[in-house]
Amino acid sequence: MVEIAGVSRVFGTVAAVSNATLHVDRGDFLTVVGPSGCGKTTLLRMIAGFDRPDAGEIRIGGVRMDRVPAWQRSIGMVFQKLALFPHMTAAENVAYPLKMRRFDPARIPGLVDDYLALVRLAEFKDRRPHELSGGQQQRVAIARALVFGPDLLLLDEPLSALDRKLREDMQLEFRRIQQELGVTTINVTHDQREALVMSDRIVVMEGGVIQQADDPVSLYRRPENPFVARFIGVTSMFPGRVTAETPEAVTVTAGEATLKARGGAALGAGAAVECAIRAEQIAIGPRDGAPRFENAVDGIVRQRIFEGERMVYAVEVPGLGGAVLNVFDHDPVSHSVYDEAQPVRLEWAARDLIAFPAGPAPAVTTEHKPTGSLTT
Amino acid sequence: MSHMKYPISWRLLDALEAAAAVLWPARMRRLTAWALLAPALFLVGVLVIGLGYMVEYSLHELDLSTYRLKEAYSLTNYQTILDRPVYARVLGRTLLGAVLVTAISVALAFPYAYAIVRTPSAMVRKALLVALFLPFFIGQVVRAYGWLIVLGREGLVNSALAGMGLPTVDLLFTYPAVIFGLVQYMLPFAILLLVPALAAIPEDMELASESLGARWTSTFRHVVIPMAKPGLIGASVVVFTLTLTDFAMPEILGGGTSDFIASAIYDSFFQISNPGLGAALSMVLVTLGSLIVAGVFLVAGTGTLGVRGAK
Repeated sequence: MVEIAGVSRVFGTVAAVSNATLHVDRGDFLTVVGPSGCGKTTLLRMIAGFDRPDAGEIRIGGVRMDRVPAWQRSIGMVFQKLALFPHMTAAENVAYPLKMRRFDPARIPGLVDDYLALVRLAEFKDRRPHELSGGQQQRVAIARALVFGPDLLLLDEPLSALDRKLREDMQLEFRRIQQELGVTTINVTHDQREALVMSDRIVVMEGGVIQQADDPVSLYRRPENPFVARFIGVTSMFPGRVTAETPEAVTVTAGEATLKARGGAALGAGAAVECAIRAEQIAIGPRDGAPRFENAVDGIVRQRIFEGERMVYAVEVPGLGGAVLNVFDHDPVSHSVYDEAQPVRLEWAARDLIAFPAGPAPAVTTEHKPTGSLTT
Repeated sequence: MSHMKYPISWRLLDALEAAAAVLWPARMRRLTAWALLAPALFLVGVLVIGLGYMVEYSLHELDLSTYRLKEAYSLTNYQTILDRPVYARVLGRTLLGAVLVTAISVALAFPYAYAIVRTPSAMVRKALLVALFLPFFIGQVVRAYGWLIVLGREGLVNSALAGMGLPTVDLLFTYPAVIFGLVQYMLPFAILLLVPALAAIPEDMELASESLGARWTSTFRHVVIPMAKPGLIGASVVVFTLTLTDFAMPEILGGGTSDFIASAIYDSFFQISNPGLGAALSMVLVTLGSLIVAGVFLVAGTGTLGVRGAK
């Protein structure tokens, strides 16, 4: 449905998007996720027609689009700040694209009513945007973007301004409408949770480069590089060196510890690696407990945060060169809670530890980390 | 002295606050707003008193034997204005001029203001702003005399025409010359009032309109102009009232052929020494101007000036 082939955009000396290639299947919900300044908005603006690529092609429905003006493209867009016309009622806002696209005037009122009903706003049709709540404004914006039956729907972080509860409701609402209409959708966000919840496929971008494109589960389970591993989920990293490798498993020394990691990367013995382990895959327990997993290290609790459904620990591990690992302990009220400065043992399975070839990787800025993460 | 560790600016502000607490104690706080309003209220008060005197003057006929205003109250001065067709003509010319100048100035100012707000180039924006503010350094009279030099019988335009072997034309001392002079005088005011109104329209609004299928002409008509309404009303009211009361341009560029009402008022006071008639003419002008502006606000709503936010 949407083909993006080798698209680049340079501002001055900065490559906002470099050689981006991706495709979106008909009816798919694709999310482009990355920290601010990663190039996702530039990519979206080029798809919408507000900007032109310096190189590469954009095809929508098999037709080359990157030289077609925005108003001639069949794309509905929901803007970050919604951009509802304040001097028009909800119904007039929704009717606007129909008038501009020369729909048969006799059909317009019916279509407007249908789409306002789709977003459950039928009784608010005569209100101006400022007389509607944040969530209702979102619904008007999505009705306006869909009413003319576009080939493609673009979402430019429209949920980022909402409070958390409303945002989660609207994520499901957007998903419901998208599936009901089967409209191909590209969503842009910096919120990894939103990406995981809403998408059929996720594209992670950083530094203008597509880092990985995958379905949400694969992306979470098998990140292809340290950036993706750190950006999606709460992941602790520490350096190590490969001492032995089989197709099934990699043996790594890190600090004084010898660990087993997931195999398959063909790193080669002696290679320097970055090890990644997710916070929820680490089991925390007393040092004298029976061993549960292949990997075990001893540490000291440095920080403890109670988040209700989970306890978040930051544990310093002297045996890993002093690395601090983030640990989620779910259902903390039913078993032991560890105090700050208390010695503990951390354990995890070999299949959960990922060894990436060490190399310069883009840093993850803390502002994009999810709530509850601790600095490493 | 632990507080000595704080930056000097903090300690200065602390001292100022302590001094303020002595000079203007907390129980006086609720008077602060009135105290700040006082100078403005004083100025407006003086104006209202002046206006009161003008009303008083306008109700006394001139005694031609003494060249003083008679003691008795009468509406003779207003009757004179109604009786002499010259005043209707001058008033009509002034009103038409104000309407024309407003329409032309706002129409020309709109694209200029839009360019200032939307140009992607900082250089272009700076150039446009400098060109906008430069005329403010040159007074109206100086500018009018400048136009005399350019448009005069032996001025730049006619020299150029003569150089090309074309007949010279009389450009000065005509109604169009006055309108032209007023437009170029009012243009910066109109732009200055439109820029904030246009800057208040998020660019996303235009992009949204475009992505919804509107070409730029439709976007302008259906989105930009309606959303710029507060600025358009504000600019129109200011240009209209300034033109309605203008004196120098009609006087200098009209050369007596295209007097506006302000010239007639001046002549009444200082040429024929009839302050009663001059005051009456002033009252007519003030009333007319106020009624028109009130009418505009009544139709457009005062909210359009952005006083109460989006409407």
